[in-house]
Amino acid sequence: MTIEAAPLLEVKNLSKTYAGRGAFLRSLMGRAGPPLRAVDQVSLEIRPREIVSLVGESGSGKTTLGRAILRLVEPSDGEIRFRGLDVRALSQKRLRATRRDMQMVFQDPYSSLNPRMTVRATLEEALRVHRMRPADQIARRVDELLEIVGLNPAHAGRLPRDFSGGQRQRIGIARALSVEPAFIVADEPVSAVDVSVQAQIMNLLLDLRDRFDLTMLFIAHDLSVVRYVSDRVAVMYLGRIVEYAKQADIFARPRHPYTQGLLRAAPRADPLHRSTTVAIAGEPPSALNPPSGCHFHTRCPIATDLCRQTRPLLAAAASEHLVACHHADHAVANWGASAAANP
Amino acid sequence: MSEAAAAAKSEAGPRPEILGPRFVPNGIFVRRIGRHGALLAGGGMLVAILLASIFASSISPYDPIAQNLRNTLQPPGWAHPFGTDNFGRDVFSRVLHAARVDIAIGFFCVLFPWIIGSVVGGLAGYLGGFVDTLVMRTVDTFTAFPFLVMAIGVIAVLGPGVTSMLIALTLSGWSIYARIVRAEVLVARKSDYVLAARAMGYSNARILLRHILPNVVTPTVIFAVTSMVLVILSTVTLSFLGLGLAPPTPTWGTMIAEGRNFIFMAWWMVTLPGLAIVVVGLALSLLGDGLADLLRGQGSR
Amino acid sequence: MSALLSVRNLRTRIPTARGPLTVVDDVSFALEEGECFGLVGESGSGKSMVCKSILRLPPTQCAMTSGSVEFAGEDLLAMSDRDLNRVCGRQISMVVQDAIAALNPVLPVGRQIGEAMLEHGIASSSADARQRSIALMRKVGIPSPERRVDDYPHEFSGGMCQRVVIAAALACAPRIVLADEPTTALDVTVQDQILNLLRALRAEFKLAVVLVTHDMGVVAQNCQRVAVMYSGRFVEVAATEDLFRQPLHPYTAGLMNCVPDIDAHAERTRLSPILGGPPDPADPPSGCRFHPRCPLATEQCRTGEFPLREVMPGRFTACVRHADLAAAGNVWALASAESSA
Repeated sequence: MTIEAAPLLEVKNLSKTYAGRGAFLRSLMGRAGPPLRAVDQVSLEIRPREIVSLVGESGSGKTTLGRAILRLVEPSDGEIRFRGLDVRALSQKRLRATRRDMQMVFQDPYSSLNPRMTVRATLEEALRVHRMRPADQIARRVDELLEIVGLNPAHAGRLPRDFSGGQRQRIGIARALSVEPAFIVADEPVSAVDVSVQAQIMNLLLDLRDRFDLTMLFIAHDLSVVRYVSDRVAVMYLGRIVEYAKQADIFARPRHPYTQGLLRAAPRADPLHRSTTVAIAGEPPSALNPPSGCHFHTRCPIATDLCRQTRPLLAAAASEHLVACHHADHAVANWGASAAANP
Repeated sequence: MSEAAAAAKSEAGPRPEILGPRFVPNGIFVRRIGRHGALLAGGGMLVAILLASIFASSISPYDPIAQNLRNTLQPPGWAHPFGTDNFGRDVFSRVLHAARVDIAIGFFCVLFPWIIGSVVGGLAGYLGGFVDTLVMRTVDTFTAFPFLVMAIGVIAVLGPGVTSMLIALTLSGWSIYARIVRAEVLVARKSDYVLAARAMGYSNARILLRHILPNVVTPTVIFAVTSMVLVILSTVTLSFLGLGLAPPTPTWGTMIAEGRNFIFMAWWMVTLPGLAIVVVGLALSLLGDGLADLLRGQGSR
Repeated sequence: MSALLSVRNLRTRIPTARGPLTVVDDVSFALEEGECFGLVGESGSGKSMVCKSILRLPPTQCAMTSGSVEFAGEDLLAMSDRDLNRVCGRQISMVVQDAIAALNPVLPVGRQIGEAMLEHGIASSSADARQRSIALMRKVGIPSPERRVDDYPHEFSGGMCQRVVIAAALACAPRIVLADEPTTALDVTVQDQILNLLRALRAEFKLAVVLVTHDMGVVAQNCQRVAVMYSGRFVEVAATEDLFRQPLHPYTAGLMNCVPDIDAHAERTRLSPILGGPPDPADPPSGCRFHPRCPLATEQCRTGEFPLREVMPGRFTACVRHADLAAAGNVWALASAESSA
């Protein structure tokens, strides 16, 4: 992969704000509730054939960001460029046509398939609507798609409920592939399937990337999954990206205290090295009332007054390593010291 | 770990094979019906009633409107199983022929409100905003309007008859379907499969017709089946008030209305048409319950 | 030393329209004082059902449980409901996965923690129960418990609800806690906090814990011994260190290989997942239930019975090819060597 390749997708200062709870009534009375900033001025570039992971805890806004990029939720502010095309400026009609190039795989393989449509009907519909094949080749293409994702075409006449979770996820992937997209947002595609099936789905996605030159935004909360599939990783906390770097750099030299905490918190499958301390204390604050300055300062072990007052901007700390922390140097030194202590 | 790497690199490690479904659904539908006694009983009763009404002319021993003034007010017996009325007409034959009219009216007076209500409610729920507000306030107005006042109004303008009855019942019935469908659409609209359809770039019309409506009709179908008996009762009420079909065409309502005057002399004139209504009502209730079980089991996990 | 809890030949069957499902099939294990015993498996493997069966809490009234569960010299499966109620919640309590659903939404959390104490006569009065609830809430790390004791469950986050559930489980100072996926619904940082809390409480109260999970990392970090379940049966039981050093069942090996290593020094290699999906509980495969997905399966695995056997001191496996597996060290290397041979 050439580093200087033009990005396939560029997101600039993208925000999604939801009106506060009871906003309508309160606005009648002249006092609107606080808005919920689900995504807060996020900038992100994804290059062709790259798998970028978006990782964060529940409520970090990662799903909203993924949907906002596809305009499945309408962004409040900011810019989305796909192959240079301004996605936010598209009319509904043009947007529908553009959806061919930008697809989505959903988290819950149970609820994301229409329960009353057979697998064949689901795939045929996509092929017909977007005129992917002449009418007489559609049936054959459905069989082909099912084989690509590892399902038996003989079972195309069945309803989603006849398949297991992992198989349904394959159907969802086949549906996304049917329109031959360039870019796929995969929203936690393996978190709802069985552990032994997760690796199958991840391998499938990696193979498909190679086979069809796909670019992916892979949303996840599980760091081991992220490490396995991604080229680059963006870490989100309360609507903001706090660190964005190559996969190897994130895992070897995390520069944000939150990323470091996430890495420490994940339980290692190694009974000989047991952790005895809590990685990050406290709970994520409410997005309705986020902390001032750096959102993470309430849980951060190295926070100072500066962090409480000023929002740190995402800036380059090293080559291709962006971090939003006032004390990233301090944090990275800490990490080096702890890594030296527990090899 | 290096051995695993070698195994993976040589591609000798397991690869996902072509996978088949866990469950083979053959015959599940049939077995489900077998498990639902209510569905079988209700369906069976209804089929029997429908057959009896369709072949009423061949089954019934007498002409339903032929008077026999020498043979009036006969109690049930071998010659006249349900007795005769004050004009000497055979009550059994009249009940059978009335079933035809009553069930047909009941069916269409449910079908039209169901279609209109579902489409209107579906649009309101899916489009939301101004359309939703407009539709729901209209629904409120229709729901608040007393049924009999509306029926009398319609019949006063158009005159009594099947058409007026159909219009009156449609006007009063559609709003409840609109309400049910709208509520279901509001839920379905937020479901992942609808989001997936939007992500596929499908048009609003396609999403509403292909992805939302098929998944929200179940409760309306169940409601329609169980409410059919209420609609039949409404037609009975209208006929009883003289707002229904003109005599001598037999309907259960007109039969009960006519029998009212003879209730102490000839109980069968009122009771046996009433019993027919009860039987149809029972069949429809059982069918509705059975359908509810059957359809709710479908499409779920 | 006699075990605190001995489960022998536990079998639970649930009648369904498609015939009885055997969700727990001939499971035996002993829980020692103060031990953390892991039960690991995929969804549908029956691991939660083992916990529920121990306290006779299967999902339907008509479930049939056989075998014995011996606690303090008595068989929990044979005792009367009244006697069981004296054990349940008092000596053995349960922590479930979905803490928010486990709490009554219309009752303040303090009352829910105190309920068991009043029921079992631990607290003398409701004022006493309230004071004890506050102390417990402080113990499980809920900030300012005096203020929060009268709050309702919806005013707590998922992680805090799980702490409330743990406080309620500890209310009567039980000797055993059955923890059914206590952290599966939580974020990784909160999971880490809850598991640390459980470890601290285990040490402080000398609790024995049965920890049900699907996460091999959680097992490795917390359990002394672990049982791997597949399709209702134990397929391997071992001390955690032994199990992770050398799994003696291909399914255990597969489970470990499914999850990528997150540590930076580990090489990022392609995973070799287990083929296919978990079996249909209504129609389990013949012979060894893992054979359709097993890379080492031979003709004999398709038929016959494969009970758990002690193959080394303290190590139990149901796999007949455990010796080959141990000799080769790696299930995929062995499988590829055999397929090329």
